[in-house]
Amino acid sequence: MRRTLVAGICLFLSSQLAGCVTHTQPAELFQLTAESPRNKAMETRFFETKDEVELLSASAAVLQDLGFQVEESVQDVGFLRATKERSAREYGQDIGRFFTFILSLGGFIMPVDLHQKIAATLIARPINPEATRQEVRIIFYRVVWKGDGQADRQYIPPGQQKMEMLRDPVMYQQFFAKLSKAVFLEAFAL
Amino acid sequence: MHAILCIIVIVGALGIQGCAAPEPSQDLLALTEAQMKIRSVQTRTFDVKDRQLAMRGVIAALQDLGFIIERANEPLGLVTAARFAEPNFYDVVGVTVTVRQEGAGRMMIRANAIYNNKPIEDPKVYQNFFTTLERSLFITKG
Repeated sequence: MRRTLVAGICLFLSSQLAGCVTHTQPAELFQLTAESPRNKAMETRFFETKDEVELLSASAAVLQDLGFQVEESVQDVGFLRATKERSAREYGQDIGRFFTFILSLGGFIMPVDLHQKIAATLIARPINPEATRQEVRIIFYRVVWKGDGQADRQYIPPGQQKMEMLRDPVMYQQFFAKLSKAVFLEAFAL
Repeated sequence: MHAILCIIVIVGALGIQGCAAPEPSQDLLALTEAQMKIRSVQTRTFDVKDRQLAMRGVIAALQDLGFIIERANEPLGLVTAARFAEPNFYDVVGVTVTVRQEGAGRMMIRANAIYNNKPIEDPKVYQNFFTTLERSLFITKG
């Protein structure tokens, strides 16, 4: 009895610590960082074409091929936003959940990632006054929702959110490879 | 043993107090002097002729800053974007930028930023934003 009580208090205290984690100051979030140019280079390609509309519709088609649903589009500023929803279950997390359950003597059921929404925003724009050269920039990110859990007798409701930018270069390379095939043009990097 | 438990419980209780959400104030919609000041901090005028060009500059600047463009409306000159407060992925920064024509060849650009549903009132944040925007507009023009 006493052991569960102490375990419960420890869990409660650690959850308190998590709630009071230090946050990034908003002022820093409006500044270019050392990673900004690298991210930009990864997310951007240039195409030697005058046809911005064609580039935009080809991008939408590529995103559809990749399983995305286009949610928003504004042709005047060359903007597209597309999302896809998938399961976020990972075996590793389920194994972790099982072992924490055993080690805490059944007192703690860890919430695991359940569902995710992968999204892409894309901007196509001319970069010279004659509009013979276009830039396409795409950014991928995802939002993950956790399932429910339990800490001692306290029920943890499902729906806790985690968000992250997807910065895997391969993903971006694949997208641009498909796009350049779709518009029959070579994509130039920065 | 009991004493230790007691102390842990008290510290825990203090922890709850520390994390309590602040109460919203009564005069939430009243126009104050501070609001006028904030508006001037959030607004800046640029020498750009074409509004679409200015909007594209705004979008590029926001993307450079790592923002995700959520919505854009060309006729209204509106751009809404958000980003996660990296490295922690539980806080969100949102920003709405409006571009309006102000006389011939001049564009008035206003940015409103929020941090987890709380407006950002630090002038430095807006200065940083406009510095990036200035650079982006210069490149777009060229």
